Amino acid sequence: MTITESSRLTASHGAVSAARTPPAYRHDPQVRLRPINWNRVQDDKDLEVWNRLTANFWLPEKVPLSNDIPAWQRMSQTEQTLVMRVFTGLTMLDTVQATVGEICQIADAQTEHEEAVYTNIAFMQSVHARSYSSVFSTLCTTPQIDEAYDWAIANDLLQERCKHVMQHYVSDDPMKRKVASTLLSSLLLYAGFYLPLHLSTHATMTNTADMVRLILRDKAVHGYYSGYKYQQALKKASPARQQEMHDFTHALLADLYQLELDYSGELYEPLGLMEDVAVFVRYNANKALMNLGYEAVFSAEETQVNPEILAALSPGSDENHDFFSGSGSSYVIGRAEDTDDEDWEF
Amino acid sequence: MSTIDLSGFTSAPRVQAASLGERKDYHALNAMLNIYDCDGKLQLDKDQQAAREYVVQHVRPRERAFSSFTQRAAWLVEHEYYDGEVLRAYSQGFVADLFEHAHGAGFRFATFLGAFKFYTSYALKSFDGDHYLERFEDRVVMTALALGEGDEVLVKRLVAEMLSGRFQPATPTFLNAGKAQRGELVSCFLLRLEDNLESIGRGVNSALQLSKRGGGVALLLTNLRERGAPIKQIQDQSSGVVPVMKILEDSFSYANQLGARQGAGAVYLHAHHPDVMQFLDTKRENADEKIRIKSLSLGLVVPDITFELARRNEDMHLFSPYDIERVYGVPMSDLGVGQHYDELVADPRIRSTKISARTFFKTVAELQFESGYPYLFFEDTVNRDNPIPGHINMSNLCSEILQVNTPSVLTESLGYDQMGSDISCNLGSMNIASMMAGPEFGCAVEVAVRGLTSVSDQSNVACVPSVDHGNSQSHAIGLGQMNLHGYLSSQHIRYGSAEGIDFTDMYFGAITFHALRASNRIATERGETFVGFADSDYANGRYFDRYLERDLSPTTARVAEVFDQAGVHLPTHEDWAELKADVMEDGLYNRNLQAVAPTGSISYINHATASIHPVAAKVEIRKEGRLGRVYYPAPHLNDDNFEFFEDAYEVGYERIIDTYAAATKHVDQGLSCTLFFTDEVTTRDINRAQIYAWRKGIKTLYYIRLRQSAMAGTEIQDCVSCAI
Repeated sequence: MTITESSRLTASHGAVSAARTPPAYRHDPQVRLRPINWNRVQDDKDLEVWNRLTANFWLPEKVPLSNDIPAWQRMSQTEQTLVMRVFTGLTMLDTVQATVGEICQIADAQTEHEEAVYTNIAFMQSVHARSYSSVFSTLCTTPQIDEAYDWAIANDLLQERCKHVMQHYVSDDPMKRKVASTLLSSLLLYAGFYLPLHLSTHATMTNTADMVRLILRDKAVHGYYSGYKYQQALKKASPARQQEMHDFTHALLADLYQLELDYSGELYEPLGLMEDVAVFVRYNANKALMNLGYEAVFSAEETQVNPEILAALSPGSDENHDFFSGSGSSYVIGRAEDTDDEDWEF
Repeated sequence: MSTIDLSGFTSAPRVQAASLGERKDYHALNAMLNIYDCDGKLQLDKDQQAAREYVVQHVRPRERAFSSFTQRAAWLVEHEYYDGEVLRAYSQGFVADLFEHAHGAGFRFATFLGAFKFYTSYALKSFDGDHYLERFEDRVVMTALALGEGDEVLVKRLVAEMLSGRFQPATPTFLNAGKAQRGELVSCFLLRLEDNLESIGRGVNSALQLSKRGGGVALLLTNLRERGAPIKQIQDQSSGVVPVMKILEDSFSYANQLGARQGAGAVYLHAHHPDVMQFLDTKRENADEKIRIKSLSLGLVVPDITFELARRNEDMHLFSPYDIERVYGVPMSDLGVGQHYDELVADPRIRSTKISARTFFKTVAELQFESGYPYLFFEDTVNRDNPIPGHINMSNLCSEILQVNTPSVLTESLGYDQMGSDISCNLGSMNIASMMAGPEFGCAVEVAVRGLTSVSDQSNVACVPSVDHGNSQSHAIGLGQMNLHGYLSSQHIRYGSAEGIDFTDMYFGAITFHALRASNRIATERGETFVGFADSDYANGRYFDRYLERDLSPTTARVAEVFDQAGVHLPTHEDWAELKADVMEDGLYNRNLQAVAPTGSISYINHATASIHPVAAKVEIRKEGRLGRVYYPAPHLNDDNFEFFEDAYEVGYERIIDTYAAATKHVDQGLSCTLFFTDEVTTRDINRAQIYAWRKGIKTLYYIRLRQSAMAGTEIQDCVSCAI
């Protein structure tokens, strides 16, 4: 190696530390840009989550949803309407997350790999939003689908539920964004999952339930990751700021909790399930706070979720499914590794 | 094959379809199995409570009352629920006594899932779906009456075997027997396709017909010409096997709509077929909708040479079945590609392409990661071990049926110019723990063989003449076993340990002896053997060498002890020599006798661990279309033997394969062998397991199941399945 080459290398290595990944451009158009380097991982959690999310990649097309047509046809009008509204509500939240919630967190990232993880999360949120549409197009008629979407647009509570979170996405406070996003993932979304979990216990729409398990598998990681990153940021904040965030989080939680009860009440009351749903919402409120590193606010008595729902919540892929009635929710993209000569010694 | 839910023959059961808003206590109690109590223990008692509550709250109020067993039977015949023919073979008094005796035997379901599965899928329901018309005891009696065909002694013995749980017929038999509105009693059908449109068309029709009647159907695609092969000598015309798979998948789905049950089908393709990579790619996560296969099961036929080529890290040649048939005059499936491999490579008349053999195995493992498929069928292992003349070229939906077939020649109007023989098999399984509970071992096997033979005798699959023809020649049955892990654990023997393997070897040896003995007795009584007996290794006695030339006693003291304690006599050299002489003299009635099915559904009813696998979990989370998500505690699990119930993922593939290898030596057909991995492994680990299985003489590999535990930080507190 010549001397000139070597000094150029040293110079460029110095430049690496001054350069920033592309999201920094927004704040400083003059900054030197550099590509992401997965060979220098600052936070192992980024890699762990990335690996988990990529291995769990899936598309709704793999689920034989059409097997649920007979179950769907056995449902009453009220029940069908409930399913469609709950799923439209979920689609709404996933759309918010995919297009605004996750994207806005990219620029706040503490590590460059966090930026990459959020692109993955945003994409999977779009997959989730699309998967509800797959259920609709398999089971419902176009007028039914249009009606459900009209309902979502016209429903003030659903709108308010989204906007109450979104106001923080467009504000200037990165930590408030994280809190808002974690509460959306861990509290609001889960209220929507009550229905498919309930259905699956009752052997109704089990393939849709398989699909929801795949979504749940992802959401558990998303909520956990946002909460983890929030806790990392909070550690570095001043005591005053920590107090401010504590108060903010609890105030927002209280608002969203009330909104959720109002919204879910409208949906579930006609079937007499609201009492159980309220317990489930409180359970998830606690869970959301735990993800953010805070103590639970609801007592154990207030969060006694029905065993059949609680037992179904595990995000692990541990269902031993019958291959002939569905494709299950346990398969992942494997890691390919070549065999070696020693493997073939026989 | 019995994992398939075949219960759709009565109308959709309204007794299950309560309002969505209604919560059920028994589901909550059952779910508590997946939540630890405050001391961190499993709540097994809650499940028993769930079983009781289910029967009390749900079943009893929906039962129809009758004044007597006789009145009940008459009413059910009159209203076309029971088949009057079956009952008319016996006196009224005999039938009434039998029902009374069965109901007095004190049968109880041991788990919630056992009861739930039985009433959801097996029990006779009123046509309007409002009432249950049968309890477990009634189903047992009707099955026995239907299989007994007027033989009162056999009927009583069948009732005793089924009530004790020693023998449990497979789902199609247990579900349908004795009913007036019913599907086939036979579990499995295997059809070969030849390289012409008539055969494909006939195959599609057969798939539809057999699905409608409730069977699982496997089809052999090996002989279909590859993509780009000539049609009428014009090059580059054929579309290959994938479009045929697509048609079959849709056909099975259609039959599903008619019966509200899952149509279930499998296709087998030879590893050296040129379309093999496209065949595998149909299961890719991101496959195009036009070629994606969602519900059809895939199996690959792999000869020894493929392993040999991979060992040498060479390419494997894929041969045109079209050219093979033109040059050799034999379909590819029947040629034995391994035996002619070098010759095929060298022959310029046979077009071939190449892929890396190791890449091929890696791709197989990748697909298994994503979908659990394909099954593997080790062609040369299967055929080396086959005592029947002919070449075995495929298996079935659960990869345990291994029988010879012959091609049919069809006319343009789909009639038969030459009637080939296709394969069917009716299955039933014995509960190992119940078998080891008393000395009636040999007698129990004989009753089971006679029961299964009766299904074959009664079977009349007119819609697929080649299957009917095959069955009338072979009388093939598939006696299986279940509850190995449950039994071993109850005896504090570890699954896959030296004792565990020794027990498996001894047990299956004894079963084989008694099964052959029973089939020989039937042949003697009727003066009839299966067609082709004279050319088999049974007739020349060579089959028996494996028993006469080896030490037949247990190698471990513990295993000798458990057989002693049970009073089960292990056959000696003298016993085998006598049997050999009898078989050579009078023959066997059944061409095939054993096949170890995966026993999904029936093991829940029978309170057994599935097949001879380790348990999937101490508390298995079972998901099925008609059941939803339910929890099943490992049978025999208690505080004393907790540590012996290592789950299949902990046990690992070596101990599973060693156990299966010990059983395989005795089973004339195959055993459904699932392998279990966590998501920590790579494709290389799966390939190693496959190499190990092949080296150990395993005949087929069934699914790959994967388990991914929750990421640290995302578990649910107190959740049993999160703590794995």
